[in-house]
Amino acid sequence: MSHHLHLAEGTAATRRGLRMLDDAAVLGLHGTESLTGVARHDLAAHRAAFGPRLSHLGHLGEDLLAAMETVHLTGRGGGHFPAAAKWRSVLAHGPGGTVVANGAEGEPGCAKDAVLLQVRPHLVLDGLVAAVEVLGAAEAVVWIHDGAWQTARSITRALAERVAAGEADPPIRVIAAPDRYLSGEATGIIRTIEGGPTLPRWVADPARPWSEGQRSVLVNNAETMARAGLISHVGVDGYAPTSLLTVINDTYRAVVEVGPEETFGDVVTNTWRSPDGRPPQAVLLGGYGGSWVPWERIAHLPVDNTALREHGLSVGAGLVGPLPADACGIEESARLLRYLADQSARQCGPCLFGLAATSTLVDDLTAGKLSRSGRATLDKYVGEISGRGACRHPDGALRMLVSGLHVFSEDVHVHRKGRTCNAPNHSIMPLPEEGS
Amino acid sequence: MSRVSPLRAARPQSDPAHPHLRLDPSVCDGVGICSHLAPDLVAVDTWGYPIVSGDPLSSKSLQRQADAAARACPRKALHVQ
Repeated sequence: MSHHLHLAEGTAATRRGLRMLDDAAVLGLHGTESLTGVARHDLAAHRAAFGPRLSHLGHLGEDLLAAMETVHLTGRGGGHFPAAAKWRSVLAHGPGGTVVANGAEGEPGCAKDAVLLQVRPHLVLDGLVAAVEVLGAAEAVVWIHDGAWQTARSITRALAERVAAGEADPPIRVIAAPDRYLSGEATGIIRTIEGGPTLPRWVADPARPWSEGQRSVLVNNAETMARAGLISHVGVDGYAPTSLLTVINDTYRAVVEVGPEETFGDVVTNTWRSPDGRPPQAVLLGGYGGSWVPWERIAHLPVDNTALREHGLSVGAGLVGPLPADACGIEESARLLRYLADQSARQCGPCLFGLAATSTLVDDLTAGKLSRSGRATLDKYVGEISGRGACRHPDGALRMLVSGLHVFSEDVHVHRKGRTCNAPNHSIMPLPEEGS
Repeated sequence: MSRVSPLRAARPQSDPAHPHLRLDPSVCDGVGICSHLAPDLVAVDTWGYPIVSGDPLSSKSLQRQADAAARACPRKALHVQ
């Protein structure tokens, strides 16, 4: 694997807090088994780097919740819901539940959670243990993808290291979920823990997503849990409000930790190898169910979700997918939409039939076969499907499509005239079935 | 001269005094009885699946329609809550 990461030195502002990663981690385009660039912390290295973990039993739990609120810790799986609010609704339900660190990372482009579990497993485990203490939970779960062998090995080694060191941890199970896009969806995880299938389900009250009469289940993304663990070590003053991003390159992915004083322009300049020396024309931000953002618009925006929200954007699950200047954005959007339609859990009609029908129309568009009335039908489908799934999968797929139709309107125009767009650079974002 | 934006006006207001008709789309099979029993609350999309109004059941007539649709659904996908 050839790459050249010339990461910028952090500024004084970012040096203030303690970061989770000290360098960029590099992986191949597919899977999470080829990680290089950051050495794994065993328990001794972890304690040396982050200090002893403090107890969060009893009233000390309120201190951690207050600290999470002060630093505005949000869910890094994509939704960015305030983490402390989620913990508080579990607390209100009573003790004896399950807490889950979700490292399944269904987004095929993203690898930040696998990186954390492979090189900083004890941060995630410290977060889980703190959650058990604060919430009075009965057990903890690390939820990973089946086939993520390096990740599983790192976690089981970390658990053994903690037993050997005499850590008084609660019971922690590792569960390997089916290797599918939606296996990391939170309601599917809760359903599995309650003894059901790993499929998303509709919940009447999002603040209480577990079944009526059942014990609570808290699901936090692995990065969110690691950040709770970090805050439990270093407190508000030692915490760096950074984001973990996965940057997609032509032959590799880079996972980097970036502070709010850096812009997306800085991130792409430092971690993306342009195939022709030119900046990208646009960036797919957040995930494959995220938004295409034109380069001129995103380059000066800070890596700070609060600031992004004012522009109607989100860091989401941390994907940064630059589209090279000579690539065709609408062909790439069509390709990703087909993948997302295929990944439907096949439970909800609007997702199962609607996304497939929409994808067929967009394929017609890229083939130059979409009539004027066909284009009107496409807009009608988008309006009909939005907001009607049990989970947010169809909404994400349509968000990506709608942003692509808007940002790549010139490509759309060329394709609708039936001309080929002469873009030589096809298939930028990695998809699982194309992996070796 | 204050004007309410149409988007805002269309958004369902949560009102504890009035329940809503709610759909679990993951168990709905698009049977379609609901759109006949609750024509003022349920429309049908291109693929035959119900689009349920998010408005509160603010009249006796709407409540009757919602109850009838929820009772008749063979998949038990509709809830009045």
